[in-house]
Amino acid sequence: MTNTFIRYIFLFLICIVVQALIFNKIVLFHVAVPIVFIYFIIRLPIDIKLPYLFTLSFLLGLIIDIFSDTPGVNALACTLISAIRTPIYYAYMAKDDITSRLVPGVSTMGLLEYSKYLITFILIYCLLAFSIEYFSFADVKAIVILTASSTLFTFVILLAIDCLIPVKA
Amino acid sequence: MRNLLNFFIKYGAWFIFFIYVILSCIILFTYNSYHSSIYFTSANVISSSVYSLSSEVTGYFNLREINKDLEANNARLENEVLNLKYQLAEYHTLNSDSLDRENSEIPRYDYVAATVINNNVRHPRNYFSINRGSKDGIRSGQGVVDHNGVIGIVNVTGPHTSRVISLLNEDQHFSVKIKNTDYIGSLVWKGGDPGVAYMEEVPRHTKYHVGDTVVTSGYSLSFPADIPIGTVMNRIKGADDNFFIIKVKLNPDFKTLSTVRVIKDNFKESLDSLSRYDLPSGLRN
Repeated sequence: MTNTFIRYIFLFLICIVVQALIFNKIVLFHVAVPIVFIYFIIRLPIDIKLPYLFTLSFLLGLIIDIFSDTPGVNALACTLISAIRTPIYYAYMAKDDITSRLVPGVSTMGLLEYSKYLITFILIYCLLAFSIEYFSFADVKAIVILTASSTLFTFVILLAIDCLIPVKA
Repeated sequence: MRNLLNFFIKYGAWFIFFIYVILSCIILFTYNSYHSSIYFTSANVISSSVYSLSSEVTGYFNLREINKDLEANNARLENEVLNLKYQLAEYHTLNSDSLDRENSEIPRYDYVAATVINNNVRHPRNYFSINRGSKDGIRSGQGVVDHNGVIGIVNVTGPHTSRVISLLNEDQHFSVKIKNTDYIGSLVWKGGDPGVAYMEEVPRHTKYHVGDTVVTSGYSLSFPADIPIGTVMNRIKGADDNFFIIKVKLNPDFKTLSTVRVIKDNFKESLDSLSRYDLPSGLRN
């Protein structure tokens, strides 16, 4: 328990620092932006209590906002995505006792299922974040392009990270 | 009462969820970028120290290019100084008595050198942070330039750090003109490419050539006149027939900002106090 707890705190801090110092500086072809910090929300255990899930997601978004000068954008998007995380997970996994105690990852879900979960999650997050940030439907084209390219870019990075760090059950 | 308690226990998590959503919305909508406090920005104590630490390392990147730019700039300035010295000497010989007063005048502009510790180009509204603050005389509204030209306006200041509204911010307009003419326009960035901005509200009769330099107009209190910003690329038809839009290629490379200068206008206070008299008494603040 304590071990897991410390590991998640560590992951929380790593996600923030890596996003703020490295991935915030990367923009591919002026459209593709890597949103790597949501890896923390993706990797929280499925059976985590909802209040903890919401609080951690909100805090993560808020701190990222402070670091990247986008007040409220990521805080709102993170809170919203945390509410639909479990339904996304069960859209691809059968609901039983074994799956409900898992940490989402390649080694626990299998590559195909995890990829589906990952890309759905990232797609919804990007759509939320960019819609909130641009906040005008005059920019629909920009939002769609940004969302599509950033989803793909983030997906590749996160899948690579996940294959590099195996899950310890 | 018991039912109410049960209700709260059962759906408590969702109350927390809605509290967070409302909190985020409050931050999102009420946060006014012009009168905000320093704590919610990347210029606060914690994030600025993290960024300072990382810029200790990343500050060495791109030094070769920056050095090349600075050398070119230095050569140009040296040239200018020599020319001006020569002109001044000629002027002195013409009327030697009237120029003694010149030296005792206070210069209008002071520059404060600063280093960019955190920079963004990927949002529709970008900001960057510098390692100088109110203790170094930085105030909100002062202009920021680097060796290539205008890059932003100071937004909020802490004691040792400040946040600057980047030129790459959709909400920020800059008063500009085409060099050596009086054609004024308003420069604004519209997202996407960090190397291209648009000069709007250019009158239809404006004469220009591709490659002309776009400079500050000097009509705002943030920048003196004739600081370069970019060069004219081509013309786009505006929404109004009487005006058109000029696409401008920006001089500064916003991805590799490092050493910048903040412009302190020593006349600003007296100019501000003058403009206060224009307002009806009820609007004075």
